[in-house]
Amino acid sequence: MRLRRTKLYLPGNNPNMLLRGYLFKPDGVILDLEDAVSMSEKDAARILVREVLKQGEFGECEVTVRINGMDTEFWRKDIETVVPCGIDGIRVPKVESPKDMQILDEALSEIEEKAGIPVGKTLIFCLLETALGIWRAYDIATASPRIAGICPGGEDLRADLKTDRSETGEELVGPRRIVVLAAHAAKVDALDTVYADVTDDEGLKRETQWIKQLGYQGKSVIHPNQIPIIHAVFAPTQKEIEQAKKIVAAAREAAKKGLGAVSVDGRMVDKPVVKRAEYTLQRAGLLEGGE
Amino acid sequence: MAVNAAGRNIPNNIPGYGDVLPFRGYTKRLPKGNRVGKKNRATFNTRTDKTLPNLKAAIKASGLQIGMTISFHHHLRNGDYVVNMVLDACYELGIKELVVFPTALFGVHKHLTKHIQKGVIKQIQGSVNGPIGQLASEGGMELPVVLRSHGGRPRAVMSGDVHIDVAFVAAPTADRYGNLTGAHGESACGSLGYAHTDADFAECVVAVTDNLVNYPALDIQIPQTQVDYVVEVDKIGDPSGIVSGTTRVTRDPMRLLIARYAAHLIEASPYFKEGISFQTGAGGISLATAAYVREAMRERNIKGSFGLGGITSFFVDMLEEGLFEQILDVQSFDLAAVESISRNAKHVEISADWYANPWNAGCVVNMLDTVVLGATEVDRKFNANVNTEADGALLHGIGGHQDTASGAKLTIITTPLLRGRIPSVVDSVYTVTTPGEVVDAVVTEFGVAINPNRKDLIEAAKSDPEIPLVSIDDLVEKAEKLTGSMTPVEVEDRIIGVVEYRDGSVIDVVRQLKKK
Amino acid sequence: MKTAQAGTLESMDCLVTAGEAEKGRGISITMEGASVARFGEAILKTAKETLREIGVKDIKLSIQDNGATDLVLKARVEAAALRLLGGDRR
Repeated sequence: MRLRRTKLYLPGNNPNMLLRGYLFKPDGVILDLEDAVSMSEKDAARILVREVLKQGEFGECEVTVRINGMDTEFWRKDIETVVPCGIDGIRVPKVESPKDMQILDEALSEIEEKAGIPVGKTLIFCLLETALGIWRAYDIATASPRIAGICPGGEDLRADLKTDRSETGEELVGPRRIVVLAAHAAKVDALDTVYADVTDDEGLKRETQWIKQLGYQGKSVIHPNQIPIIHAVFAPTQKEIEQAKKIVAAAREAAKKGLGAVSVDGRMVDKPVVKRAEYTLQRAGLLEGGE
Repeated sequence: MAVNAAGRNIPNNIPGYGDVLPFRGYTKRLPKGNRVGKKNRATFNTRTDKTLPNLKAAIKASGLQIGMTISFHHHLRNGDYVVNMVLDACYELGIKELVVFPTALFGVHKHLTKHIQKGVIKQIQGSVNGPIGQLASEGGMELPVVLRSHGGRPRAVMSGDVHIDVAFVAAPTADRYGNLTGAHGESACGSLGYAHTDADFAECVVAVTDNLVNYPALDIQIPQTQVDYVVEVDKIGDPSGIVSGTTRVTRDPMRLLIARYAAHLIEASPYFKEGISFQTGAGGISLATAAYVREAMRERNIKGSFGLGGITSFFVDMLEEGLFEQILDVQSFDLAAVESISRNAKHVEISADWYANPWNAGCVVNMLDTVVLGATEVDRKFNANVNTEADGALLHGIGGHQDTASGAKLTIITTPLLRGRIPSVVDSVYTVTTPGEVVDAVVTEFGVAINPNRKDLIEAAKSDPEIPLVSIDDLVEKAEKLTGSMTPVEVEDRIIGVVEYRDGSVIDVVRQLKKK
Repeated sequence: MKTAQAGTLESMDCLVTAGEAEKGRGISITMEGASVARFGEAILKTAKETLREIGVKDIKLSIQDNGATDLVLKARVEAAALRLLGGDRR
């Protein structure tokens, strides 16, 4: 299971961040060709991002590129440029239709084949930034086997919902619940949108605690200083770690003995519980010899 | 020529400097003989007013002649008017070929360029920066610049290496009988730490003030026993250039990242315990490191013994919060520090001799647990360069770098691995300022390299998974991979700068840049 | 003279201005910035290689560098040249 607690946006025309963003140790980086790049710089950013990807130095980060929307003239050129560099995935803005995801899937396969990359390797993360996109979340999340995560929008979504930002974030409660439900139903990750006020560390912490409780695996990040705060929220407690260690040890023991059933403290535990325990250890940086 | 302990090939004699004592190691050179001193003098109740009408009158009275040595202190920093004023007066009086011996120079002293070109100034023994450094690097000075650390300078004075003929002490407040303080006045600068040795050892001491008060002045730092003349002028400096406002911790993520690594290393070290002492600069990374360490001190309920060095509001806050017992202040950087030194008995002014001189019965740096420093370059042997820039120009002084590094139990150099395309961790530094034997760790955004001599520290650091341990070679290779290799600096044989170690031996030299 | 620019003067970036040159005049490059003292040759080499890769033979380049590494320089030279000459030459 890949950790996706934090995914840091790196503006696609900013060499400094593109080259050094990974040093802040987010779980993933998103090289952004969309909102962070003005219309007149799309060409230069695409070339720069290509060169940065070719260099390939991103530590242990999952590397994704946010392409321009499928309603623009840029998206095909974007994927033709970045996919052959061997990235982990692309992030697609303003997804509204499962059909688009199939078109994208086919386009990706074609590029992968031509570039000698295993077909299907490039994952898709969908940004659902409109009411329609949120409404179709499950259908979109299941439209292609490449889809690995879905993410609700922020500002764009508010606009589409004909509302605006409130202190409590009330207006996005519903969409966030729908997305998390759809994601788990489709067995993809639920990834939350950014917290825009980069100086409000307390607010970020509160929101992260809340979305974690809802069932999200992580959050997008626009400022490196937000990363440690989010990781701290997702860090398991000592009690959780101890329990998880027991479960994982019991599961390994059972596997070694060829037993199907795993038992901890005299109680049988299911496979999903073992997986959950492994995820806990992974977040604590303690999983060894596992996946 | 001989190769010194820093691996540098140095001539046995340098024109305009004299015979060279090669650097042999940080504890190797010991003093011989006694200290020097100034002539005796007597003052009776027949003279109770030391003021003279103007600077020229004071210069004449001081007996300053062609070819003599004059000294200055730098507490007025980039707001200082006194250095320029004194040299203008010397020029007008026809006094030439002077050796200028400042504790440091700043951008505002660019004005001296014209006095160098006109021959008023023959040599600078002290830091040169900006335009003067560029001028010296290009061969525009007759004699080589001699660089000494904050501790090396009082050592040179007391041992007789440098004889100060006239010391000009910029005094934010003075009385007519020569009691001086930096704590009060419109040009207040707090500590006068660097001026003490000059006041004590110069043949003649001239105080220059813009706040003449009734005898005796309050909070006297330099006493009447050392001051020969007092001159009142309109302004000794521009307050906005003397002290900054409140010093704030950076939000720059890269600096914060490096600072976090440095703070983790301090916390993992054996020195992070009750009574810890530390010094950090006022630079972004240093200050941010202090901020993280303060957080950790609060969390783990640890109280420090003293904070040292150039003092900012940040240390003042720590003192007031009870995280330090005392502040020992050789230079006050901001308004809060200036205010604190005059009202808080636990905020103590110390002299440069007390702070860092290796040749006395004990300087404060020896009691320092940890210091966080910067550098323009560090190399595979942990040698640090703070004097020259990538193009080979001599643009910075040594400050307390050598002193604190050799005194502190844990010396950390923090630096971004790249500044633009220029790498800061390299195969071999262009100029050795501080020898690698006294540098314990180099902290960059790409990882933390600990000096292999410090096996204890490496083990301690391993206990914290947040510290990204790498080797210094890893950092060198990483930097080179990112930047490509540099073409060498092209230089002439002529030496334009001599970098002394704090004990007076020569650790490196800087050569004249080739004309392009 | 027709010119086109790419890049910025931000840290670790460079601003490349490409100007048309008559056929057969070859490549001329001027550069300024803090890195030039130690990386001048590397900058020239990278710029020329990049132009060769995209098949540009005659061009005037002015590079204002603020610490760009090779790959950034390469991207900026390519972008400026393509903006000047049009089309995707790869």
